[in-house]
Amino acid sequence: MGRKILLVEDDRETADYLIRGLTEEGHSVEHVSDGREGLFLATGQTFDLIILDRMVPALDGLSVLKALRAANVETPVLILSALASVSDRIEGLESGSDDYLVKPFSFAELLARVNALLRRSEARSSAADPRLIVGDLEIDPLARTVKRGGRLIELKPREYKLLEYFARNKGRVVTRTMLLEQVWDYHFDPGTNVIDVHVSRLRRKLEDGFDEPILHTVRGAGYRLGQSS
Amino acid sequence: MPTGLKVALLAALLSLAANIAVVGFIRWQTYDDSAARIHRDVIEEAAVLEAVYATGDEAALRRAITDILVVRDPHYFAALLSPDGRPEAGNVAAIQRKPVAGYRIGRLRPLGARTDVDAAYTLRRLDSGDWLLSGRSFGQRLAFEQTLERSLLLALAIAVLLGLGAGYVLARYVNRRVRDIATVADRIGDGDMTHRVPLSGGDDAFDGLARQINRMLDRIAALMEELRLLTDCLAHDLRSPLGRLRARIDAALSAEDEARREALLAGVVQEADSLMRILTTVLEIGRAEAMASRAQFASLDPGDLVAELAEMYEPIVEEAGVELRLDKAAALPPLFGHRQLLAQAITNLIDNALAYAPGAELTLFARLEGDTLRLGVADRGPGIAPEDRAEARRQFGRLNAARSTAGAGLGLALVEAVAHLHHGQLELEDNHPGLIAALAIPVRATR
Repeated sequence: MGRKILLVEDDRETADYLIRGLTEEGHSVEHVSDGREGLFLATGQTFDLIILDRMVPALDGLSVLKALRAANVETPVLILSALASVSDRIEGLESGSDDYLVKPFSFAELLARVNALLRRSEARSSAADPRLIVGDLEIDPLARTVKRGGRLIELKPREYKLLEYFARNKGRVVTRTMLLEQVWDYHFDPGTNVIDVHVSRLRRKLEDGFDEPILHTVRGAGYRLGQSS
Repeated sequence: MPTGLKVALLAALLSLAANIAVVGFIRWQTYDDSAARIHRDVIEEAAVLEAVYATGDEAALRRAITDILVVRDPHYFAALLSPDGRPEAGNVAAIQRKPVAGYRIGRLRPLGARTDVDAAYTLRRLDSGDWLLSGRSFGQRLAFEQTLERSLLLALAIAVLLGLGAGYVLARYVNRRVRDIATVADRIGDGDMTHRVPLSGGDDAFDGLARQINRMLDRIAALMEELRLLTDCLAHDLRSPLGRLRARIDAALSAEDEARREALLAGVVQEADSLMRILTTVLEIGRAEAMASRAQFASLDPGDLVAELAEMYEPIVEEAGVELRLDKAAALPPLFGHRQLLAQAITNLIDNALAYAPGAELTLFARLEGDTLRLGVADRGPGIAPEDRAEARRQFGRLNAARSTAGAGLGLALVEAVAHLHHGQLELEDNHPGLIAALAIPVRATR
């Protein structure tokens, strides 16, 4: 299902690349190249997601974001920035953005985050059954229990958190960096494959004794929870 | 006004003020006292004679003067003078000034003497036009005091001269010391970082200042050297991944096979990522060193932080066939710090230990020793020889033996920068065998 995305990005090449990719994914993209115009559009129309470059002419990204939040526009915002240090990332997140992505990034990483944000805004509007169902996997966030095919699976607290994050993004690609940020709250790159080992442990627990894999590795991007379809 | 002149004037003024205070004190303690006593005596003795005149007449007064002079007090004067000031009775031969009613200090000649003496006296005009004189000579004490006063004034004048001289010498001294420092500042400003302020050896405030300036210059020189080394090494270390990147792109461009091209391009992405990582880490180090990230400091439990990282790394350490131990003191004081950077630093230590010390066990610890909080990693690997430790801390300064191992070059430099950000340092110690690498952070500084 296509969604409406506002892209505020002054670099022509990056913008073209993003518009092409996101349009191929079925989204409609509105593009402006300076901050003031971005703010004008974002307050005048309704978007499902705003992708905001941190350094754009006329009004910088963080100021646009603050103005939006001050005007009670709660549209999810993904910040793009060439500023890579931990401090810059945290400053970006603290100013009210929902996610922060450092340039250069792979399109797979961007898409995974865009989908996660769109999924979240969807979930906000439909609060019904608190249980998370992924195929034959059933997660109860209130009781913090996990069952697969009716069988109870014992998970450590961190494994549970990891699975819950996967389940909230079921069927979508989740990258290693997203896991590190969302599950561990660390905003730096540890350099080693720490995340992979945790995921493969979780996978073993989820798939032990079952024929069908449920936690898939997506080459060059990350992981995806869901039936193989 | 030049500083030298200012200092000189100030010194002279201070010396003058001090001397005036001393001279004034001496004068007040002596002269004022005896002068007042003489004044009192003269007035009282005059009052007695006036009382005699008031109750009797001038003849009674003459008799009273004669009676009093029988006592022969050499300092006491009593006399009757004619209207034009000539003595008619009493023990005064002459007065130097024309008689005027009231209390006077002046010179008069005692009867039978050849010279005048200093005296205080009162004159009162009688009904007949004659004058009644009653007075006292100053005597030795007051004469001494007058000499003293003259000496004090002279001393004051000398003090002013000496003060000016001292001010001049002081100003020259201060000027010279300041000029020494200014000269060094000028040379440094011209780009010659080797100059240092000379010490006088006297351990005074100027030496203190000179030492401080020299320390600062040493630190700046060290930072500049580090920066130069950083850019050199950065250029060197970026050259090889960039070379590989180029080679892979070339290979991918000329690859006929789709699968092979894809594999080559995946390698290209990997190389690019590792380049990004190097650059990001360099920026992080720069930031931590510039102390720019203090805005994100918060109070955190160091034990929790270490436990969290142990939990995060436990699977990967275990997979490497190493046992991960957690050594966490029970009650640790809270640490005011940057959670992300501390975690990154400790993570670097773990990564290093895994890369260089594939031993049997790895201990992640958080201890309090005195006022110092130590967070770090102890391994059982080959350790680092004491002479190589300084090199190991340096950015990109991978130990030669470890050159072939990819990645961990920037690790310790970042850890050290994070330690400095928290007013602490990176400690490298022997674990007999192995290496203990810890961030040593003073607890007090973190509050």
